[in-house]
Amino acid sequence: MLVWNETTQGLAENWDDFVGSGADDGLVQRWLGVLAWLYLAGTVCALTVRRTSTYQLVPLLLSVVMLGFLFYAKYLGAQRQLPMLIEHGGQFLMPILLVLGLKMGPRHPMVMNLAIIAVTLTFAGHGAYALGLWSTPSNYFAMTKVIFGWEEATTRVFLGVAGALDYLLCVGLLIPKLRIPSALYACFWGLATALARPVAGMSSELNFWGADQFVHEALLRAPHFLIPLYLAVFWYKPRKKSTGDLASVTESVPDS
Amino acid sequence: MKFSKWFSVFAVVLIFGGIAVSQQNAKKRRGRAVLDIPKVEEANTICFALYTVSDKTLKLTAQLYPLEEGAPLKACLEIKENGVWKEVASTEIIKEGWTAPFRVETWDDSKTVSYRVIHGKKATYEGTIRKNPTDKEEIVVAAFTGNSIHPVHGGDISRQDIIENVKKVDADILFFSGDQVYDHHRHLAAWLKFGRDFGEIIKDRPTICLPDDHDAGQPNLWGESGKISTLGGASDGGYSRPAAYVREVERAQTSHLPDPVDPHKIQQGIGVWFTNLNWGNVDFAILEDRKFKTGPAGRVPKQGPRPDHIRNPEYDPASVDVDGAVLLGERQLKFLNSWSSDWQDAKMKVALSATIFCGGAHIHGGANGRLHADMDSNGWPQSGRNRALASLRKAFAFHLAGDQHLATIFHHGIDEFRDAIWSFCVPSIANLYLRWWEPLKPGRNREANSPEYTGDHLDGFANKVTNYAAANPEKKPAGNLLNTRSAGFGIVRLNTGKRTIKMECWPRNVDITDPKTSQYPGWPKTISQFDNYNPSSWGKAGEITFNVADPVVEVTDEVSKEVLYTVRIKGKTFRPHLPKGATFTLKAGRNASDQTVATKLKVGSDKQSITLE
Repeated sequence: MLVWNETTQGLAENWDDFVGSGADDGLVQRWLGVLAWLYLAGTVCALTVRRTSTYQLVPLLLSVVMLGFLFYAKYLGAQRQLPMLIEHGGQFLMPILLVLGLKMGPRHPMVMNLAIIAVTLTFAGHGAYALGLWSTPSNYFAMTKVIFGWEEATTRVFLGVAGALDYLLCVGLLIPKLRIPSALYACFWGLATALARPVAGMSSELNFWGADQFVHEALLRAPHFLIPLYLAVFWYKPRKKSTGDLASVTESVPDS
Repeated sequence: MKFSKWFSVFAVVLIFGGIAVSQQNAKKRRGRAVLDIPKVEEANTICFALYTVSDKTLKLTAQLYPLEEGAPLKACLEIKENGVWKEVASTEIIKEGWTAPFRVETWDDSKTVSYRVIHGKKATYEGTIRKNPTDKEEIVVAAFTGNSIHPVHGGDISRQDIIENVKKVDADILFFSGDQVYDHHRHLAAWLKFGRDFGEIIKDRPTICLPDDHDAGQPNLWGESGKISTLGGASDGGYSRPAAYVREVERAQTSHLPDPVDPHKIQQGIGVWFTNLNWGNVDFAILEDRKFKTGPAGRVPKQGPRPDHIRNPEYDPASVDVDGAVLLGERQLKFLNSWSSDWQDAKMKVALSATIFCGGAHIHGGANGRLHADMDSNGWPQSGRNRALASLRKAFAFHLAGDQHLATIFHHGIDEFRDAIWSFCVPSIANLYLRWWEPLKPGRNREANSPEYTGDHLDGFANKVTNYAAANPEKKPAGNLLNTRSAGFGIVRLNTGKRTIKMECWPRNVDITDPKTSQYPGWPKTISQFDNYNPSSWGKAGEITFNVADPVVEVTDEVSKEVLYTVRIKGKTFRPHLPKGATFTLKAGRNASDQTVATKLKVGSDKQSITLE
């Protein structure tokens, strides 16, 4: 729907040209393989990028478009559930944060504010699902029940509490006295929920302990704990000398 | 500085919010169904009712719309006797799913009776409980699968053609093999729509519904005895949706079935419903081919991007037939072995399940969708598939199923081609996802003038299968959204007099009583009941003549002591079909094989006459 619909017809003249007819491949099939290589190139750039290398920075920024496309497709697949769109905020903004961090410095207010937005979007999206504001995805229940062995009623209460905490931490990030604990909790919870996939699914009875099925699920959620970790670290260790143009939130000294 | 801060906030909010809000407000696209539960008047709170009668027990489940707060949570079932309505059962309405399950024991199934379900002071729903058609020679089964409601597949097109055709052939029993509901979150809303679409024929005849993967709210289902699935796609085995959701689905779709033969629950408190239904002297085994099946993820070597799809044609089929992989499971195999030897009031046997016991399609979804094998099919695990077929052929059972979105007829083989049962996979009511049976090599031993895709083949798991028909969709479906995508339904005529099985495969929106109407290519196909276990390598013993018609006979290997088969023969004479080089004991009786009547039976042995007590 993003690149083709009956009205605009987008990148192909008709639906068959777009998705393939069964007798031949459509645009989607032809481009899927190409997209895989582009994602791989983005990964290499992210691992090797230097602040002076335009050839690496520009592809990284372009990879945001690809991620945006992917997450928008997920959003459409979820029948336009708003949390499905915003919960990917952290993953979507990660390449931008990396590029801006390299170019402007990790303490630059734009970078830190963007990181706050990324965390807020991620946790607000997950919180909306956990609280049941939108239908809670079944794997939330499944993972919780498998890991803790709880009954459904207990699981539902737990998810409700976790969802409420998601929103509290989003608010906490904006309150100077609460922002470091909030970021640390976000880091913990982001790591816990990322690891929940392999923890719930892997088993010694499976080939490779099931790692080939579940580990990537944790890796792709790395921004959920790495971005709040970045905020906590730089809030905890503020720059020794202020240039006077940093946002007040980056200059505060933690209460601890 | 402030500008940059606020600009960044503004930009991100604009990007995410703008897209989201515009999409939230976007007009509903054509292609996806709008699924709501309509508000109904108090008099119309009962949507539809399903029933079966078995062993003199009537089980009827009325499906209600959600009731207003304070509405009575009791419903009554009445039947009309001598023109007067008489209450025969009452029940509490189960709020989780709004079902009212009735049970009436000591039911007289020799009479057709009008019934009505009553709720409150205004709501009534009427139908007919048919008499058991034991006096009919031909039992007509109307069979369906895949009830997509999405307009993009033609799912919004009225089902009135199906209603009219079922009435015209006056089907004795309805079979919905699965995917009555495709919505993974709103089973109740979709089930009510199913009831509005099909209630008119369901209310007047026994109906068997098997909830399949989409009904349970997931794309595929390897139930693995009720474990919890956490992997996207659920190929790690188990149920993705909360157990309460699954229980509600099963209550809605199966609580009217005869009692389960082995009612012990599986993990998460999920029930079972595998059982049998004897109707019109045909004994139907109702199987749960998903509930106990093992998930493939992590258990078999990956042969492609998805754990359940094998794209590598060079793979070793034996490598995926791993120890511990379950298909029907021990409980169902035990049931089948018992069922296959029980011929009380039965002349023919039919197995009903969600899908067929082989990989019944090569191309899935699109041109580059050629799969070597799909573990969602019952072709995997091969050992489990062979055990299931071995149990079914002992009863000469015919197999009726769906799920594949592609109608096919297969004759299955275990040790040799065509040494087991026949299956008919019926087409989808509206076809959500296209598949094609398109082997790369022409089949061997094809019938004259048959397409190259028919004949003997090895499926992707190296299972022996012989294809007789495949209703492949058009390569570029266009125009008629239903029939270019090979939508339709099946009619199976089980002739208990002639012991024949006639398979019919009809497209949508045709009059199936009009002689000019054509079925999908390859249909109709008629086979004998005895073709369901008739290996070509066997030979015949001498004719045996009994003093009574239609006795039950059982043939047992004298060395292994294993039962070869049990069947109610047609008439007084019988020539046992036997493996060469072995000797067998023959038991027989009027309604059960309880008398040993011959020993040392073998291929070529003399004919004999037997008198049964």
